[in-house]
This record gives sequence, C-alpha cells and structure tokens, in this order.
Amino acid sequence: MKLVVSNPPHTRQGVSIATIMRSKIAILVAVSLLATIVFGFVVLELVLVSTLAAVLTEAGIQKLSKQELTIKDGDAVSIGMMIALLLPYGVPLWIPAVGSFFGVALVKHAFGGLGANLFNPAIAAWVFLNMSWGALTGSGSVPHIGQYSDIFLELGAGRLAEVSPIVFFIGGVYLIHKKYIDWRIPSSYLVSTIILALIIGENLSYVITGMLFFGVFILATETATSPITKNGRFIYGLLCGVLTVIYGSISYNYVVAVLFAIFIANAVSPFIEKNTYPRPVDEVAL
Amino acid sequence: MAIEIGKSVSTKETQEYHKQVVIPLMQHRGPICEPLIYVDDTVLKGQKIGECNHDFGAKIYSSISGHVIGLEDRAHPSCTTKPSIIIESNGKNETINFVSQQNPSKENIFDTLKDSGIIELNGYPIFNILNTTKTVDTILINLTHSSDVKSNCTPENISKLISGMKLLMKASDAVQGAIIIHKNNNQFASAISSGLNGDNIGIISVKRNYTPLMYNLLAYDVTGMRISNRDTPAEAGVMISSAYATLAVNDAVLEGIPPIEVNVAVSGAIGKPGIQRTEIGTSFKDVIQSSGGYVGEPAKIIMNGLLSGTAQVTDEVPVIQSTSEITVQSNDEVVRNEPGPCIHCARCVDICPVNILPARIASFSDIGRYDECSKLNVYSCVECGLCDYVCPSNIHILQLIRFARTALLKSFTIPEEKESPNLKLGCESCQTPCHMGAISSRGGK
Repeated sequence: MKLVVSNPPHTRQGVSIATIMRSKIAILVAVSLLATIVFGFVVLELVLVSTLAAVLTEAGIQKLSKQELTIKDGDAVSIGMMIALLLPYGVPLWIPAVGSFFGVALVKHAFGGLGANLFNPAIAAWVFLNMSWGALTGSGSVPHIGQYSDIFLELGAGRLAEVSPIVFFIGGVYLIHKKYIDWRIPSSYLVSTIILALIIGENLSYVITGMLFFGVFILATETATSPITKNGRFIYGLLCGVLTVIYGSISYNYVVAVLFAIFIANAVSPFIEKNTYPRPVDEVAL
Repeated sequence: MAIEIGKSVSTKETQEYHKQVVIPLMQHRGPICEPLIYVDDTVLKGQKIGECNHDFGAKIYSSISGHVIGLEDRAHPSCTTKPSIIIESNGKNETINFVSQQNPSKENIFDTLKDSGIIELNGYPIFNILNTTKTVDTILINLTHSSDVKSNCTPENISKLISGMKLLMKASDAVQGAIIIHKNNNQFASAISSGLNGDNIGIISVKRNYTPLMYNLLAYDVTGMRISNRDTPAEAGVMISSAYATLAVNDAVLEGIPPIEVNVAVSGAIGKPGIQRTEIGTSFKDVIQSSGGYVGEPAKIIMNGLLSGTAQVTDEVPVIQSTSEITVQSNDEVVRNEPGPCIHCARCVDICPVNILPARIASFSDIGRYDECSKLNVYSCVECGLCDYVCPSNIHILQLIRFARTALLKSFTIPEEKESPNLKLGCESCQTPCHMGAISSRGGK
C-alpha cells in the first residue's frame, strides 16, 4: 500500500487566487456594462483592448522567459480592466493598449510578477499615461453626486469607473463579507476621507464619487502594495484618506486625488509594515 | 501492584485469537520506558509492563492478556520507530484485580495518578502537570479539540467527565473549574450544563478550537495572562486537561483501570465511520478493518484531525494514548496543490491565533534566513495549521515554519528570555563599583 505523507494541514479552504480575482473581475465587469449604458459601445472596445493587451503582454513575457503561464489566475485580466476603467470614454484605443503593456510588463513583471509589484499596476500605468499624454487621458467632466439617482448611475461621469458608486460599494462589502479583501483598509480610508473632508468644509458630493469607492474597495486593497500587519493596514488606509483630501483640496479634483493618494501610499507601505510588527501573545515582557 | 487473577471482565464479546498488540515504550515526552517483562512472559490485562521514573515519564500497562512475543523497534504514529512490546492475545481476557476507590482522598488521587501513567494529549503526563510548584486554582477542561471531542464526548461520557474533573479539582486544591466549549457547539453545552449542579464549575464558550499545543493560548484567552512559550498554563494558575485525560483520570481513580483503552473516532473513506473503543497497541489496520475496512484504495491515513494531525507512513502503526481520531483519505481527497507566489493578502495574519506574521516567516524560511524567522517570533507558533489552511496560494506555511524551527534548534540556541523593563529601575551606577555585590538593582533590592 502506498500512502502519501505530508505535513499538516491535510485539507484546504479552497479559496485560491483565482477565486479572489474572479470576484473582483465580476465587479469590474458590472461597472463596465453600466458604463456601456451611459457612454455607448465605445466602452466595450476600450475595455476589450485594454484587457487583451494586458493578457497578451503577460503571456508574451512568460513565454519569452520560459515561465509557467499564469493567465488563468485572472490578475492580468483585472489589471487590464482596471486600467480601462481609469480612462475617459473617448480615448484613442492605443492608449489603453500602451497602458496595459506598461502596467503588466514594467510594473508587475519587471519586479518579479504576481505579488512582487511595488505599485498597483493599474494606478502606476494610469500615472504613466497621465504624465505622458495628459491631454488625451484627461476627463471632460467632473462627477457630482447631486441627486440620489447619481449613486446608482452617474450620467455626468468622466471616467468609466465613476458611473456607479453603488456597484463598487455593494461589491466591496460582498468581498469583505467573503473575506476576499480586508475590512481595515476600506473602513479607515473611507472614514478618514469623509471626516477630513467635513473638517475642512468640502462639499461631500464632489468627494464621494465612484472613483473614491473604486479606490477604497478595489485599488487600495491590492494585496501586494498594502501592509500585511493589522495595525499597518489601519495606518495605510488613514494615510490614503489624508493624502486624498490634501491633494483634492489643493487641486479641486477628488477623482485624481484618489489615484495619486494610493500611488504615494503604496510607496510608503513597506515602511508602515516594518514599524507595526505585532506583539505575539506569548511575549511576556512589557 | 500485586498481580492477582481477577474475574474475567469482557469488554468485547468477540475477543479474537492471535490478535497482536504493539505497545510502544514511549507515548510521552520523556525518556523511553524500561520494559518490566521478557519475551515469552505471560501478561495479564492491566499489568504494568513499562516503568519510567523520570519527571516526564509515564508507566505503561498491557492492554490485553497473552504472552509477549517480541521486544523490538516498531513503527510509531509520530512517523518514527520506537522500541515496542509485542503481545499476542491468548483469548482469555484475564485481568489483574482492579482496585476501585470510593471517595478517595487527595493523597490517594495523587498516588493513583502517579502510578497510572495517563498522558495528556500534548505529551506531558497528567501527574507531572498536577505536580507543580505554582498555585493552581482553576481546572479547565478543553472540549474544543475537534478529534478529542468527536471520540470522547459522547452523551454517556458526560457524567464521567464531570466526575473526573472533580477529582482533578480535589487533587490540585482548585477552587473552581470551567468547561471550555466552542460557541457553535450549543447542544453540547446544554447537555453539560444539565449535568452540573453547583460545584463551582462553569461553562466558557470560546471562538476557537484549541489543539493540545495551544494550552498556553487558551489560558491566556481565559485568564488574560500572557504566558511565555517556555512556561506552562500553571503560570497563570490554571491546569488544562483534555476530555480524554479527564475520562482516564476518572477510570483510574474510581475504578482502578489504568489507561489501556482509548476511544477512537474513525472517519473518511471506510465502510462504517463511527467511534470505537480500542485497546492501546491495536494497529490502525485492525481498527479500520473492524470499522468496515477501506473503501477503495486508501491514499492517506491521518491521526488526530485534518488540520494538525500526522500523516502515517504505514497502517501498521499502533493506537497510542494520544490517538483519538483516524481519518482515511482516498486518492482524490488528498491535497496536492502546487504552491504559488505569496500575494501578501494577509489572510494568514488575520487568522493567526498567536499574532505573528506567518507569511513573512514562511518567505524568510524559504530562502534560508532563519535568523530573521527567529526575530519574527517563529517560536511563538502553536502549529494550528490555520495559516496553511486559508492560504490562497497553497504555500506550505506550517511546513516552512517547522523547517525554520528545526534549523534554528540545530544551529542557534534559543534566545534568552527578554527581561521586563519594569525591573530595570535603577541606573546601576551604585551596583557596578560595589565589590561585595551587596547592591542589586534587580528584584527591588
């Protein structure tokens, strides 16, 4: 009789990277479809080109460097979709393609692939596009949650992600409920942003947009670029919120503020983690 | 103990002929027991066959009557070989005269437990746990270890459990006791609370399942006192016992029967899953055979639960005192996932009961930086296996942690215990010049 011998545990929960990514992609797909309703079929082209470019870049890199293909885990797909959602609807189609190539090749794979990236690939790609072709990627409209229906479908959205705050909110709460993302970063980010905006007397209808919820639930909780310690995640969320309000109050653009805040917070996340190592329960010394 | 031929107590109607038991001379943490018998001797059920006078030693008793046919190294459930006594049954089921006691005094309980060799599931003899210099005022019965609960906490055992607990309270002069139950186990809590009447025994419901390696953590969660991993729960004034050990204490003190039989829950790919009362030393193969045999080809045999149990090399290993569950997995149930890269999702950090960073320790262990593992408190790990269980990347975190610990034990000494800064009150400038050593800034002098 041949018996398998291994270390415990001999069972697994069954949640894989692909499971987590798939549920994130489901939210992104829902938002893309709503954006199609608002802006028309040009959105689908944008999302498809971006996703396809991301997937092809990842496949090409892994083929060339003779690694195992990991397209199935859904990370490249989600990066591509996120880049598309960060862009306004009228951009030429080579913009998302270049952005996806930059995000997957230079931000993700140049640093070691899945889980090794320093910055969120989607945000870094957006920053790159914004710095290089600011006139093309700039948004013509600023979202404003003026009435209740704007929470469900914001017709004045400039970028695709701004069309529906409620989808990101419901999806994010679902992800937290399933423990696919952590609750600490979203809660401290959202609460600190709202409180700080109220303190400096900002009009909340410009602060709480679809982009804020996209940032809070999907972009800021990107696992590799946020600290893993429990206290560190609170501080990281707080930092994101503070930076969002600072940038937003200076530039009067809370949409771009979310992205730059997360981009800067990514850079200090290892520092936050290093300084918030937890105390194990058996450490007696006070 | 005088050996007398008592009346034949038949616990099983159909005692098989030529049944063999393999009783390892080491079921505890201390040194190996000295055998008290020779090959070809005839032994009775309940006769002492192994002696060990070490603090952590536990005596060993024969679980069937028959004659000794060998004394050799045999497979042990801890995936090694240990010297074992092989006894072949003569089918007579003759026992020694078990001395039962009514209302034993504290000294009587102490002596009986010292002689009985009951081992707590974490490997320490129960006598050694009781015999502490610290003041123990609370007895906790841990009914959250799933395999222990599955096999030992049947409804008919509850009254025995409570009486065993009272014996432990008497032996340790404890003034109160508590039964620890998982909060999802409600019907069990009501069954126990109906068996309690007064007696300073309460029920505490907790959110975690505590394995025998997590007793310090359980004491911390109940009393709020942090205990170093070099100390025992006695530091916080509590003694923790499993359901198995409590039942064994009850049997040993009140009925005089040493631990020769254990309850084993058999589950998985077998014919009739259920609980069996089995003699110590029976091979897993026989236990599985009498539970209906294998269904299909077995691929993995696991002792004591899927989360932190040991996978067995062969099914010839004997049932020992700490065996409470045997799980058989078929080929498609065996987890064979390839580990992927860590995505730093922190699921392991969120679930870790001892507040360490399993992901970071695992990645440092993977690249051989055991010094960093030591800095990240790898010794605090209680090996519950939850980090590994929830990992979406299938990284073998527990294995890497164990690997780092073994490597550290081989290469470094365990770092000295940190001293509490509370004690460092003085500047020590008076202490240094005093050549008589009369002044000490430590200890409040």
